[in-house]
Amino acid sequence: MTIQRREFVAALSAAGIVGTAGCSSAGGGSGGSGGDGGTGGNETSDGGSASEAVGVAGETLTLTTTTSTYDTGLLDAIHTDFEEMYGVEVDAVAQGTGAALETARNGDSDIVMVHARGLEDEFLRNGYGVNRRDLMFNDFVIVGPESDPAGIQGTSSATEALTTIADAGASFVSRGDNSGTHTKELNLWEAAGTDPGGDWYQETGSGMGEALNIATQQGAYTLSDRGTYISQRSEIDLTILVQGPIEDGPETLANPYGVMAVNPGVHEDANYDLAMAYIGWITSPSVQASISEYRVDGEQLFFPRAVSEDPDFQQYVPEGWSGDSDDE
Amino acid sequence: MSLAAIPQLAPALLDLPFREGYVWSIVYVSLYVSVTAVAVSTLVSVPVAVALGFAEFPGKGFVKSVINTGMGFPSVVVGLVVLFAVSNQGPLGSLELIFTREAMIMSQFVLATPPITAISLAAVDGVDDGVRDAARALGGTRIDAALVVLKEARYGIATAVLAGFGRAVSEVGSVLIVGGNITGPDGVSKTRTLTTAIQLEARQGQYETAMILGAVLVALVLTVNAVVVRFGDGGVNA
Amino acid sequence: MLRAADVSVAYGDETIFRDLSVEVDAGEVIAVIGPSGVGKTTLLRLLALAAEPDEGSVALDDVDPWARSASERLALRRRVGMVFQEASLFDASVARNVEYGLRVRRSWTDRLGSLFGRGVPDAVREALDVVGLADETRRHADSLSGGEAQRVSFARALAYEPDALLLDEPTSDLDPRNTAVIEEAIGEARDRGIGVAVATHDMHQAERVADRVAVLLDDGITEMGPTEVVFEDPANERTRKFISGELVY
Repeated sequence: MTIQRREFVAALSAAGIVGTAGCSSAGGGSGGSGGDGGTGGNETSDGGSASEAVGVAGETLTLTTTTSTYDTGLLDAIHTDFEEMYGVEVDAVAQGTGAALETARNGDSDIVMVHARGLEDEFLRNGYGVNRRDLMFNDFVIVGPESDPAGIQGTSSATEALTTIADAGASFVSRGDNSGTHTKELNLWEAAGTDPGGDWYQETGSGMGEALNIATQQGAYTLSDRGTYISQRSEIDLTILVQGPIEDGPETLANPYGVMAVNPGVHEDANYDLAMAYIGWITSPSVQASISEYRVDGEQLFFPRAVSEDPDFQQYVPEGWSGDSDDE
Repeated sequence: MSLAAIPQLAPALLDLPFREGYVWSIVYVSLYVSVTAVAVSTLVSVPVAVALGFAEFPGKGFVKSVINTGMGFPSVVVGLVVLFAVSNQGPLGSLELIFTREAMIMSQFVLATPPITAISLAAVDGVDDGVRDAARALGGTRIDAALVVLKEARYGIATAVLAGFGRAVSEVGSVLIVGGNITGPDGVSKTRTLTTAIQLEARQGQYETAMILGAVLVALVLTVNAVVVRFGDGGVNA
Repeated sequence: MLRAADVSVAYGDETIFRDLSVEVDAGEVIAVIGPSGVGKTTLLRLLALAAEPDEGSVALDDVDPWARSASERLALRRRVGMVFQEASLFDASVARNVEYGLRVRRSWTDRLGSLFGRGVPDAVREALDVVGLADETRRHADSLSGGEAQRVSFARALAYEPDALLLDEPTSDLDPRNTAVIEEAIGEARDRGIGVAVATHDMHQAERVADRVAVLLDDGITEMGPTEVVFEDPANERTRKFISGELVY
């Protein structure tokens, strides 16, 4: 009750500030201090006793990530631990992979967690991201109606399955939203040597859950990450027809997630310290264990990948980058 | 009838598939953002409407049509413009407003101001000129006359404020873009509103929970309308 | 007391009247008669200090409001009351309507305080008493008949005790009973020393209430003098024709 009231007071003061900014279109200076005050008020009331600690306490880490990590509930499950450990808040903004990287590119987030290696590499090459780590993985599956009109069940190759669907002209629903899943799907079509198009191929521009629902209603095939499929399985009428590598399917359906900090050399106000603390925390053995213990409907959704005895230098650099090129 | 229905409804309400406090916190954020935005909009719009109603100048018709056009301004475009303004690279970037309620208030302010101004202006124009003349003839200043006109137009202005509130609280595009739809791991909303929560549920194909939140949103709008209408009725005796 | 000297008003190319002079003295009733559209309302608005003449001057106790600052002009304007043909009451109770002129003359802090006050000031009761509505203070303006509304409108101008009262066709929409109440109230205002100018197209009303009559024809006053003289023995030929009904507009 007290907290609410305090928030309300902060709310009122913030309201006044925005009002001022709204009236005088050039209210930069006065609005600036006020904006800080408003945010401070929120943090004080939410952060509680933790804000009395020194260091990063009371700060906010803005994480842009994909819908699949957020919607499965994984982040909510593990973030409490990080927030309590550092006395900070994590603002997780769930966007598609493309949008998450774009937000970070504009300096509006401190850290990104996405699943499209090609886009991540481009982000690194352009200097926006630093200290990339492999985080975890799950896999993609090709799902479709049980009747399987194109007859792809039992196909051991994802590209072959897609070619079969295209040849049969069976309905296929694409995310069409520049997300990690969409990127994966396009890469698979390219690898299959097929240019998807025609009445049977629909770009929906929607989230995974919506795409699964549309596929159910139209008796169509679609590419889904396993996590979202499992969390929705009970409400949709689709079965897995081509498994990913977790269930011994083709390695091409692997879905690796990476995490990287926004380069403070490009965006100097990025919260780099806290971003690195987060990377250290989430790649630590205990949190990696928490990720592997996370269950939805009794099934494991994500498989940790950060902790390993063997070195894996590839995770730090864009794919195909070699030390030799640096020696010039 | 209604008494018999309660026991049947109660379990449905108690079995909400949300964590404790989640729905209340998004209702709070929705109200906080929309009410603040509409309050600021009203403080700007109503004086502008009264001034425009009183003034006669060439180009007044053009100003009116600009305001009317603003009523139909797409919220997603407003979201993008506000995003550009508050983004780290934008002119207000140093205020660090991106993904905050303040940024959401800004975008809703932009959305709510044209309808509130346009409907208030229509209400002010609809007040009998004789009332304004009487106020002046009885020794009132321009401000006194404006206050009289405001009071006469109060139902229309209340309608304007409700229309602005309706637009603000029910729009999803701009608050999603500039607010980020953020909820803490404890399930307490920071920038998640009812509309963005509905969008989130729909994205996950959870149409039933989306419907429940939609019902909460409708109930909220109805409640606010009822409160404002009642407040307006009370004003007659004052 | 309230005087217009050689005033001219034109709307664009159309001359309303030219070089017109008239004075309203304290404690007298002057009727301005003339056909509709001749500029009676325009003349009253000049006398109410609400509009500036194109030429000539208007003065209250020899002070020209248009030569003074806005605040001085407001102070002069507040010594004059005006009642229109339409009652145009505010959406409020009878008492709140009649109190309006008093309220706008108070400071903002007093006005805020009066929002919570429930009492009816004596001046409001007295003004309502003059029009026979002293017992109706609590009624809402919407519930009044047309005649009652016009009587409240009259009381509204009387309540702040102006030096001059300008009435623009105050009874043209009223039945005989309400007309009689208003005419009686005009007499009461005169007895209080208020200078009253009433514009009317009803010559019988002018005969009943006015001490003096000014006849406004075409673009000026053709005749002005004591009521019985103007009606019994007008000097001007056109005035005579207008009064006898031969001159039809």
